[in-house]
Amino acid sequence: MTAGDIATAVLLPLGAAFAFTGTVGLVRFPTLLGRVHAATKPDTVALVLVLAGAAFQLPDPRVAAWLGLAALFQFLTAPVLAQTFGRVAYSRGEISTGHLITDELADAVERSREDDDGDGG
Amino acid sequence: MNPLDYAYTVTFVLLGAAVLLTLYRLVRGPSVMDRLVCLNAVSVLLVTFIAVEVALRGDHAYIGLVITFALLGFIGSLTAARFAERRAHDRG
Amino acid sequence: MSAPSDAGAEPGRPVRRQLLGRLVMAVWLTLMWVILWGDASPGTVVAGAGVAAGCYYAARLPHLPVRLRFRPLRIVLLIGHIAVDMLVSSVRVAFHALWRPAQMRGAIVAVPMRTDSDLLLVMVSAGLSLITGSLVIELNREEGVLYVHGTPVSSERSVRHLRRQVRRTEERFVRAFGTQRDIDEFEREEQELLRADEENSEEETR
Repeated sequence: MTAGDIATAVLLPLGAAFAFTGTVGLVRFPTLLGRVHAATKPDTVALVLVLAGAAFQLPDPRVAAWLGLAALFQFLTAPVLAQTFGRVAYSRGEISTGHLITDELADAVERSREDDDGDGG
Repeated sequence: MNPLDYAYTVTFVLLGAAVLLTLYRLVRGPSVMDRLVCLNAVSVLLVTFIAVEVALRGDHAYIGLVITFALLGFIGSLTAARFAERRAHDRG
Repeated sequence: MSAPSDAGAEPGRPVRRQLLGRLVMAVWLTLMWVILWGDASPGTVVAGAGVAAGCYYAARLPHLPVRLRFRPLRIVLLIGHIAVDMLVSSVRVAFHALWRPAQMRGAIVAVPMRTDSDLLLVMVSAGLSLITGSLVIELNREEGVLYVHGTPVSSERSVRHLRRQVRRTEERFVRAFGTQRDIDEFEREEQELLRADEENSEEETR
């Protein structure tokens, strides 16, 4: 077994473990926003770890550049998706407010609504 | 069996369990957003599967698939989420 | 690698800067094309440049004023910090998922941003959303306020911790990518915020 094999043997199961625990969170967390966190981010960590592990098994460094590209895409797309999911979930009102310690966005929306009323009256 | 084979087995078992759990949440819902989030998670997990396959075969023929799947999953999820937002607006 | 820098050269040659910005983008697209084809023969490069130019023309991609500065050391540090944050917070969320999912609480906090650059704000919010356990829900552009959802957050103390984390991330991005003017403005706003905080706490103690 070469050093590359050892790296792969560590990185692949580690990545899969992140994906698995993230999914456990997706099943067990009581709030939608919590589930958004659990579904989007650990999967990104998992994919990047697995890509890194796979890179050690490739004979050609030029091909490994493709894997780097895939990781880069994941880093670019994951936050966009997470943010979109969060915003849409919030705007649809599918947030269980009982699980929030504070919600300063709701406070701000409230305030701007009051301002509008003040202007109108 | 050499240690690398064990590593692949563990990886496939964990990823397979992750996909099954995600499908469970996908079926149970309860909200549309839950289902969208799950669909996206499944697509990322599929991409991860293909990446493991790349490692297993040491073959770069699948890497194109990795990138294509990742981008398609991204565009699909984003479009669906935007659509869900639009519908929420229409309802009031 | 250095994008068109603009250390105090606002009125000077905007056309040239615009062209430079486009050139960077076209080079980037061409590079993607070459990597995807997998060989860097001259034919591929020329075809890639052609396709990049065609895409630019057909899609009429908007011209983004790229006002960034690249500080390699700071960028490496930033990437290191984000990688560590990602791993640590993923482990934290995994712990909650496995042992006490029902006690998972979150909070949405409003954090005033000290920088005013569009590009930097986008980068900060993307960097935050990449980390497990923080997620930008809304960005108020006029007031420059980020609304960040954090989890697991269980007490006032962890709310403060989340706020501090957001500010630290912002500072790291500004110091890694901001132009000199961005950094100056950042420091000025920071002083103002600090002063406002002090006044608030004085009022509270009174």
